[in-house]
Amino acid sequence: MIGQSTIFPKVRCGRPWGWCNLFRNPFGELTPDERAELAVVDISEIVGVLNQPRIAIQFIGECGRGKTTRMLAIGKELPEAAYVYLEEDRPCGAIPTGYPLMIDEAQRLPRSVMRTIFSSGLTLVLATHRDLSRPLRSFGYRVKTYRLGRDGDANLIWECLNRRIEASRLNAGPIPVLSRADAAELVRQFGSDIRAMESYLYDQVQKQVYSDGEMRFID
Amino acid sequence: MAKCDLSIELEKEPEFLHDGGATIRGTLHVHVDKGVSCSGLVVESVWRTHGQGNVAKGTAESKTLFKGEWTEGQSESYPFELSIAEWPPSYHGRYLNIDHYIDARAKIPWSFDPKASVPFLMRPTCNREQAIASTKVPTKQLARWAIGLFVVIWSVSFFGGFAVAGKSIVPFVLLTLVMLVAGGFYLFRVFLPRYLLGEVVCDFATASVAPGQQAQGELVVRPRRNVSINSISMTFSAREECVSGSGSNRKTHKHLFYEQKEQLEGPTTLNANKEHRFDLSVSLPSDAPYSIDLTDNKLIWSTDLRIDIPRWPDWHKAIPLEVLPSGKAGQVQGKPLPEIMAGAAPGGRGPERAMPSDSITFDETAGHLWAVRDDPSQREMLVDAVTGLTFQISARVERRLLYAGSDDPHVFDGGYAVWANAEDPPLPLVLYVPHHLADEFEQIGRELWHGQGKILGWDDRHERLQIRVDAL
Repeated sequence: MIGQSTIFPKVRCGRPWGWCNLFRNPFGELTPDERAELAVVDISEIVGVLNQPRIAIQFIGECGRGKTTRMLAIGKELPEAAYVYLEEDRPCGAIPTGYPLMIDEAQRLPRSVMRTIFSSGLTLVLATHRDLSRPLRSFGYRVKTYRLGRDGDANLIWECLNRRIEASRLNAGPIPVLSRADAAELVRQFGSDIRAMESYLYDQVQKQVYSDGEMRFID
Repeated sequence: MAKCDLSIELEKEPEFLHDGGATIRGTLHVHVDKGVSCSGLVVESVWRTHGQGNVAKGTAESKTLFKGEWTEGQSESYPFELSIAEWPPSYHGRYLNIDHYIDARAKIPWSFDPKASVPFLMRPTCNREQAIASTKVPTKQLARWAIGLFVVIWSVSFFGGFAVAGKSIVPFVLLTLVMLVAGGFYLFRVFLPRYLLGEVVCDFATASVAPGQQAQGELVVRPRRNVSINSISMTFSAREECVSGSGSNRKTHKHLFYEQKEQLEGPTTLNANKEHRFDLSVSLPSDAPYSIDLTDNKLIWSTDLRIDIPRWPDWHKAIPLEVLPSGKAGQVQGKPLPEIMAGAAPGGRGPERAMPSDSITFDETAGHLWAVRDDPSQREMLVDAVTGLTFQISARVERRLLYAGSDDPHVFDGGYAVWANAEDPPLPLVLYVPHHLADEFEQIGRELWHGQGKILGWDDRHERLQIRVDAL
């Protein structure tokens, strides 16, 4: 009946995760700044070598293994850095100078732009699905390659996911905690694919909106 | 250990539903453990999406409450009042969520900035026109056609080139297959249903409707010959559509959360050359969520009509319906357009334009653009109004570009481009610099640059105002 409906009262007035002291589902998309803030990656070794001349770091790995997260963490550590993401379905956009210059999906660099960048001599951090060490060396770079995501680390996953829950805290007081056993189970199911874990956990948390009791991450 | 802690206390309780465009009041509490210098205690009224789509966000108002020194053990309270954005409203769904927040940040030089954030709920009170203006991101229809044409020409050249160079028929076979698939799709989807039914006309009287109201329309069929049909049906539905990632990581999440099916006509025969009219009527629940279009985060209401023809491809059509607030006239006024927009001729991308007689400054222009930077339609109008104008500009150079982009037409021959910020507010700019000024820009580093430049437009991709530096 028009004017009497109560089909959607909670979409406007509710706090779907308020019952567990969260203001949002912790496993949704984040802004790049948040991703950098919440990254659980050890970049000290990488940052240590970036002040050397004509050096290039490349991260090679499948999607969801932490290439972009590492770059964002480096960007947070080094304010002079510039981060560029090369989109698949658009022409190459502007590429600024940066110290270091970080290029995500670097395998998509058009040949002429690649020449311009590699001949600049800037310190480079590249995330790529293809090994670019040959062209880099031909421009005089020393290349350090990190291959990511060969095996999942349950402790790292545990810390990473609990940080995301903490970043969604509504007020002071207890919030749900993902157990180490849950983290181990996630690694068993998804290996090192953190993005797949987040997607699974998003749906798990979403099933429990306006619920009560205890948050369950694994059925 | 933190040097200073921030906490926000709102005047109203957390469940209070604030009106869009109204004022929200509260107090920002600061407690300092150690003496610290603060270069700006900033409080903002913002909105953000969360869920599975790429985050969209906007700022309604920002204020600096304090600048100066805090001493060890000091506790201070700073009352504030800020405007709430008029759009989008609070919404909590499966993949799409929108919340409004009061964000606070203490800028501490050479240290991490302490932050605090409190969500609050908002319902819109703007009228339909304001909501449409805020919701719609201008579409570049012409650009889409150009891209389509480019793809066709490129495909023909590519396959043709291969065929000629390789003297092989494989590219032609591939091209023929692609054309056959496209032709088959058109045949089944459009041509065959139309062959039997003739031109089917259907639409709603209005393209937008408010929650609790009804949308009325009509479906008119005038078949060319007698046509037996199984049914005519209408499905009224709402779904969330969110996009996460980009490029090869791009993923679309869809969730249908409302569906209402209605049979308009059962098995019957539609007689030839006779007009058959069917009333369309959809009723919206009074608390139906509004249509939302925030680029990668959408809430879409639509009506799907289908004429089921036995042993023949069905005719169907989807009609989008905007669910928007009815508004309360006079209660909330839209943001006044800057004078320059009201006075300027549309599409002012002429070769040379003089400054307005009352001489609006670049700082004022940057201020207006900064205020509407999260509102694509207002921003586009304003950029159109100032494009071609020449100003005295002060800008802080951010960094030089190694590569200015493949489709950038504004770079001088042998010149280069730099990213910069206007001084206050820090509107992002891209400056196209002629070759002979390259040294000047190299030496200036990150100092303030003063000079003359002409506004060329807006770089949507990097969200920067494009300015060509005058070659004096």
